[in-house]
Amino acid sequence: MKGKIKKGKVTMIITAGIACFVLALVMTMQFKIVNETDITSIENMREAELTTELANWKSKYEETNQKYEETVAKIEEYKQTKQSNEETTKILDEELQQVNMILGKTDVEGEGIEITIRETDNEEIEKVTADDLLLIVNELKNAGAEAISINDERIINMSDIVDISATFIKVNGQRILAPYVIKAIGNPSYLESALTGNGGYVDEMKKIGQDVSIEKPNKVKILKYNDEMKIKYME
Amino acid sequence: MLNKKVISAVLGIMCFALTLGICVQIRTVKGTNTTVSNNYEENNLRAEVLRYKERYDNKYKELEKAEKELEKERQNSTKDNSALEEKEAEITVGNKMIGLTDVTGAGVIVTLSDSKKDSSSVLNPSTLLVHDVDILSVVNELKNAGAEAISINDQRIVPTTGISCGGNIIDINGEKVGAPFVIKEIGLPEQLAGLSRQGGYLELLRGYSVEAELKKSNNITIPKYTGVITYKYAQESN
Repeated sequence: MKGKIKKGKVTMIITAGIACFVLALVMTMQFKIVNETDITSIENMREAELTTELANWKSKYEETNQKYEETVAKIEEYKQTKQSNEETTKILDEELQQVNMILGKTDVEGEGIEITIRETDNEEIEKVTADDLLLIVNELKNAGAEAISINDERIINMSDIVDISATFIKVNGQRILAPYVIKAIGNPSYLESALTGNGGYVDEMKKIGQDVSIEKPNKVKILKYNDEMKIKYME
Repeated sequence: MLNKKVISAVLGIMCFALTLGICVQIRTVKGTNTTVSNNYEENNLRAEVLRYKERYDNKYKELEKAEKELEKERQNSTKDNSALEEKEAEITVGNKMIGLTDVTGAGVIVTLSDSKKDSSSVLNPSTLLVHDVDILSVVNELKNAGAEAISINDQRIVPTTGISCGGNIIDINGEKVGAPFVIKEIGLPEQLAGLSRQGGYLELLRGYSVEAELKKSNNITIPKYTGVITYKYAQESN
């Protein structure tokens, strides 16, 4: 009798052991599958995301293609004008002009917006700080601004905007005073909508009582960077 | 008799757990499949995205090759004339400043990571994370200290670069980057290192127990911008 019970127990234990093993195996498999499901990959995007993603890649492709064709054309031009210094100068000047425009070394004009921030007399209202200007400039860049200036100080790649004491703000190392006029060239409606509406920075400033206005003139003119541009440390 | 009952109960519970596990698993697998194969429209879009991405990648490679050739051709065409050589050099330096070529030099590397503190231990868990505004401020301070080239997780800062927040990731140059943020810059290291001064922005971040590290280095490489800068609205004026 005693031996019989033992035998039954052993079978039971073995069965239970196998069941546990299978269970563990299934669990591991499951975890693996969940882990492999990468939520950021294209495989798992929804329709709306995919549409934006497609538009994004399409425009990137088109820009690159255009640039590629321009580059190939320039190579051809250089090849053809090898003998003539005058012709070479012309192509070089063209290239240099493009570089200088992106650097901010030339005056530019085009469609865009102008934001004016006036200081208010009310002492209870927060003063405009360098951070306000920095955030507006960043929003403008996000909205595709091609050229930006604050009180005619051109914003170049390495431009800084900082508070110097409580009284004034420095841009490019030059002190600027209120009223602050920020000019930007780009698609006027994109630029404006980046700053207005729910959470838009200009509207947020207005909410706390600051005097900000946005205008969309037909033509915005932005002056070039006034100082010399030098590099010392990079190769 | 009692023993048998206990064993049966244990087995019963085990079987139940096993079934449950299998059910959960089947459901997960089913869930994954629906996103992949159930929607015809989405599949088409997905294929289209992949196709354009591939077309872009190929075109970009061609462009890179063409740009190298252009540089060579430019050098060739200008090599025997000092006035032309000067212009050629100006273009090369200009492209470096814009961020269209890889650059190397001395500088500092700033690393910002989300705080390791338990988020339930503070009043506002949001302060434990690195935000787009933090990166914007650090970059602005580095520019103030005379940085000549800056990249964030290898995304080069160019004149049109905007930094924006997209949930728990940050969008730079239209590319998504996540913490930890490695900000590399080239400039005079001693001056750039001033960023970790008392009252500076890094100290402020550390006050929120965000991890902010600054390291000087004599040999930093900053990659070029992997995109194209084209102006559609701005024109040169006289």
